[in-house]
Amino acid sequence: MRRQHGALPLGRRTVLALVLASLAGLLAFGWPLVLSPGSGLEHGTDAPLVLAAVLVAVIAVVMVALGDGGIDVKAIAVLGLLSAVGAVLRPLSAGTAGIETVFVVIILGGRVFGPGFGFALGSTTIFASALITGGVGPWMPFQMLAASWLGLGAGLLPRRVRGRREILLLAAYGAVGAFAFGWSMNLSFWPFQIGSGTSLSFVAGDPVVDNLRRFVLYSAATSLGWDLGRAVTTCLGLAVLGRPLLAALRRTAARASFGPLPPSREPDDPDGSDATRRVHAPTSPA
Amino acid sequence: MIRFEHVSVTYPGAIDPTLRDVSVVVPEGEMCLVVGPTGAGKSTLLRASCGLVPHFTGGHLEGRVLVDGRDTRTHQPRDLADVVGVVAQDPSSGFVTDTVEEELAYGMEQLGLPPAVMRKRVEEVMDLLRLASLRGRPLADLSGGEQQRVAIGAVMTSHPRVLVLDEPTSALDPAAAEDVLAALTRLVHDLGMTVLLSEHRLERVVQYTDRIISLSPGGTATQGAPESVLRASVVAPPIVELGRLAGWEPLPLSVRDARRQAAPLRALLQPGPRGGLTGSVSAREAGAPVLVARDVHVRHGQVHAVRGVDLRLRAGEVTAVMGRNGAGKSSLLWALQGAGPRSRGSVLVHAPGARPTARGQEPAQLSPANTRRLIALVPQNPTDLLYLDTVAHELEASDRQSGARTGTTADLLTHLAPGITPDAHPRDLSEGQRLALVLAIQLSADPRVLLLDEPTRGLDYATKQRLAAALAEHAGAGGATLLSSHDVEFVAECADRVVVLADGEVVADGAAREILVASPTFAPQVAKILHPLGLLTLTEVRHTLGAPA
Amino acid sequence: MHPLAWWVWALGLGVAATRTTNPAVLGLLVASVVLVVMARRADTPWARAFPAYLVLGACIVVVRVVFYVVVGIKTPGTVLIDLPRVALPGWAVGVELLGPVTLTGLLVAVYGGLRLAALVICFGAANALANPRRALRSLPASLHQIGTAVVIAVSVTPQLVSSVADVRRAQRLRGQDARGVGALVACAVPVLQDALDRSLDLAASMDSRGYARAVPGSSGRQVGGLLLLALLAAALGTYGLLDGTSPPWMGVPVLLVGGVAAVLGSVLAGRQVTRTRYRPDPWGGPENLVAACGVSAALLLVVATATDPAALDPSLSPLSWPSLPPVALVSVLLAAAPAVIGLRRSPR
Repeated sequence: MRRQHGALPLGRRTVLALVLASLAGLLAFGWPLVLSPGSGLEHGTDAPLVLAAVLVAVIAVVMVALGDGGIDVKAIAVLGLLSAVGAVLRPLSAGTAGIETVFVVIILGGRVFGPGFGFALGSTTIFASALITGGVGPWMPFQMLAASWLGLGAGLLPRRVRGRREILLLAAYGAVGAFAFGWSMNLSFWPFQIGSGTSLSFVAGDPVVDNLRRFVLYSAATSLGWDLGRAVTTCLGLAVLGRPLLAALRRTAARASFGPLPPSREPDDPDGSDATRRVHAPTSPA
Repeated sequence: MIRFEHVSVTYPGAIDPTLRDVSVVVPEGEMCLVVGPTGAGKSTLLRASCGLVPHFTGGHLEGRVLVDGRDTRTHQPRDLADVVGVVAQDPSSGFVTDTVEEELAYGMEQLGLPPAVMRKRVEEVMDLLRLASLRGRPLADLSGGEQQRVAIGAVMTSHPRVLVLDEPTSALDPAAAEDVLAALTRLVHDLGMTVLLSEHRLERVVQYTDRIISLSPGGTATQGAPESVLRASVVAPPIVELGRLAGWEPLPLSVRDARRQAAPLRALLQPGPRGGLTGSVSAREAGAPVLVARDVHVRHGQVHAVRGVDLRLRAGEVTAVMGRNGAGKSSLLWALQGAGPRSRGSVLVHAPGARPTARGQEPAQLSPANTRRLIALVPQNPTDLLYLDTVAHELEASDRQSGARTGTTADLLTHLAPGITPDAHPRDLSEGQRLALVLAIQLSADPRVLLLDEPTRGLDYATKQRLAAALAEHAGAGGATLLSSHDVEFVAECADRVVVLADGEVVADGAAREILVASPTFAPQVAKILHPLGLLTLTEVRHTLGAPA
Repeated sequence: MHPLAWWVWALGLGVAATRTTNPAVLGLLVASVVLVVMARRADTPWARAFPAYLVLGACIVVVRVVFYVVVGIKTPGTVLIDLPRVALPGWAVGVELLGPVTLTGLLVAVYGGLRLAALVICFGAANALANPRRALRSLPASLHQIGTAVVIAVSVTPQLVSSVADVRRAQRLRGQDARGVGALVACAVPVLQDALDRSLDLAASMDSRGYARAVPGSSGRQVGGLLLLALLAAALGTYGLLDGTSPPWMGVPVLLVGGVAAVLGSVLAGRQVTRTRYRPDPWGGPENLVAACGVSAALLLVVATATDPAALDPSLSPLSWPSLPPVALVSVLLAAAPAVIGLRRSPR
């Protein structure tokens, strides 16, 4: 049984594309734990660059796959505006230690508009904010993918949970997700940032456990405060703003009643017919 | 060009149809105006004529709409893009790109036109709508009138045969509105475009239109020549009301036509031996000064928005600030309230009950909660004040914030605009209802001074009348009111005093009658027709006609 | 200047920077990047971010040094400062704090930090010089839809910022204090609501201006297959690249196959989109020159490391002064060339 909800419905092919892309992404994030001696990337400086290039391509391909077949124009507009909200929040948070508010928007967007939309929102938010602030660099594709996963995951959380428990669920998810975001970014840039020759450095070919131990020490020593701050602000943000913002987003989802895709669309996706989609659009006076 | 055949539209969740069995025709090359009170379905009619209803908004459409022979049931809005150009109420919300030139080209890019054609058409449209000087400007920096013209240009580049505009001049000052209307008439007269538009301020457009579709509150429509439709219409501009009152035949639509027929009426209204009309518009007597502002300056960065304004607001008086867009009206209001910046000068508000000799309080030095007990401001975009999900919650929050008895705000709201459902989302209310809600919230703190920034934007005649009544009531209770407005008819109706700002300075300050009658831009229609009698409003004409008898 | 030309130039310099740890070469490379940015940048918000990149670069070097001093593995050599060693408790096996700071160790840290800093500054230069709005116009047609969302995001951001200011100001009118949880809700909700309402207006406007006409529909199995192949290749290739024991074909070759599949799929998917571009940014002589400068600077150093690695990685044991090989000098001059060449006579 395939789930069919949200502003950006996922077909079978897109799900497969997301799975493959996530696989490549996991390798790119966890490369220090996978890398074995004799690899061409043993040289710590090259790996993040090469992997960033691979990730750019992977994200672009997933976006092509998501867009293939047409996205509802309302979903595009909502995606654009929510990305802008995130892009406005991001520089506000970057200056202050560990305060990160952009995940609140991505998580709530993914929750209300579905996993496909959440995935797209994560990437477009980070991309737009990098363009605006001049922050395009090798770290950007990693951030895009990590934020996309966060949005995707928020869309996959159990949908029947509502009310106070929904806020609790989202806040817990946000705390864990934001913390994981920081550590996964650390992991992929760890050998890059610290270089070799320290006792916290990455050593290619060492047993995974040893590298992992050094990584945990390194992360704890350098960015634990930031990561905790990020987790706490995301959690608090979701707890405080979750209910009113969810209401606002759901009102828009209802008003938009994300409708039929272009008429010439191929019927490769029988669930996408008009009749079923109306079910997801709660009736409310416009 | 556009043909509605027995069209009924019902939105999802609604019981009654918004449009009911509408059959109207808009012939090619005409400028057709849709009139009707708020909620009668003007926007729905406009959106149905370009396919946005029902494809975009959802809902059920019975009957059929043909646009240049294309049925909107089988054609999506995008498939009509080369036939119908749509300009939304707030043009800036429809901009996709950020410079004028790119915005003009956007629609053509989507239609896949070759670059050479796009280049040529962009230049043509720039000449047609006089946009060449704005070419590379960022859209966000344009004035309202310029944005509106760019929005029209952006759909014109696709060479549509029909233009559909939702209240194109409602938010504009008179000069900008003239620009936009001149551009529209040029399109109709020179290019033979068909234009379908709705507008609340009929006095602006009615003289240019060839045909009027009048919607009744039940959603039914009648159409015909402007003279015949307006004769029976519930909503009509002052000029038509005067014509109806005087029994003029044919009904005049422009000041010129009306003046030609007005000589007998002017003779009838000639002041008798008892003297002419000189007094205040209202019968209120102004009391002691409540707010005294001295030498107020406001600077926004490089811009010196307000330069040394002195102002006194007295109890029981309604004052209107008029002037061009960018003359400093909003900055002045915000500075007086204390929430906005003020670089120099003083503002003193006298608390109710204080001795007249006592020094007043500076609003900017009080906490926001205390300020609003003295002086309250309803900003240009009242929605900014609302943040809860139902009207009822807003009302409760308001009682709590102003420390008023539970139910105070609700009572005020019922008085200002009866019939708002407490469960409604504030953003689903009409503009008039939203304004009433915010006004009720602000009045719940019982402020001495009430400031309103452009309160009549997007309001229909009935709502404006209720607003005028509310302002009169506030003045009657000893409060002072200051409102900024472009709406001369509304100002003539409710203001005792008028202050004219230009370039941040006061250029005229005096009784409403003196200022309004003498000014070519600020004179209401009735004053222009009956010049030099000095009558401002229809009410006065009725009153004067009734008095000698 | 076409924004992509700057990106090609900057990425070329980035690659060049990763080829060497020679501080003289790196310093000259950074100097030429700064020179070009000073000469060619316009007064734009993104150009103003460049100094931040210089600061970031300095921080990277400092952090490396601090890490070396605090937790570095102290190799023998000329001791500069003899700090006492501090042993850590058992759970941090193998980690020692402080210890004697040697010149060799310090230089390794500085050189490594410099290389990373130079790379980051190259990215900063691209960010400062390339106009992001114009760069968005160069997205391939297959990314038209997501690209449109990003275009929208970039163009409404300034308005959102002013909307935040307006709402905060308006909330004061209501007696709302500027601090606290209530104020946060009172500010966040109207801003988000405005943005969402606006998005529906925008969608209506886009739809009635023919937006989705350019996207007639799904492009079938062929494209889907190619895209999936590309992703599969990306996952496999990445693994092959990282795992030294896997057969050699699993690394770069698979990635290249994936790249070809991705480009092909993207082109085919893009064919479905029939939109055209109004006044596309021209790619002409100046663009070729600027891009060629970056690419050849990179190629020179790549070839030089392959033939004469010692010159670009100065020896630290025994210590020697870094020399400036002629090939690196040429490369640096090429990097700085866009400061004076490739100017367009009439900038648009």
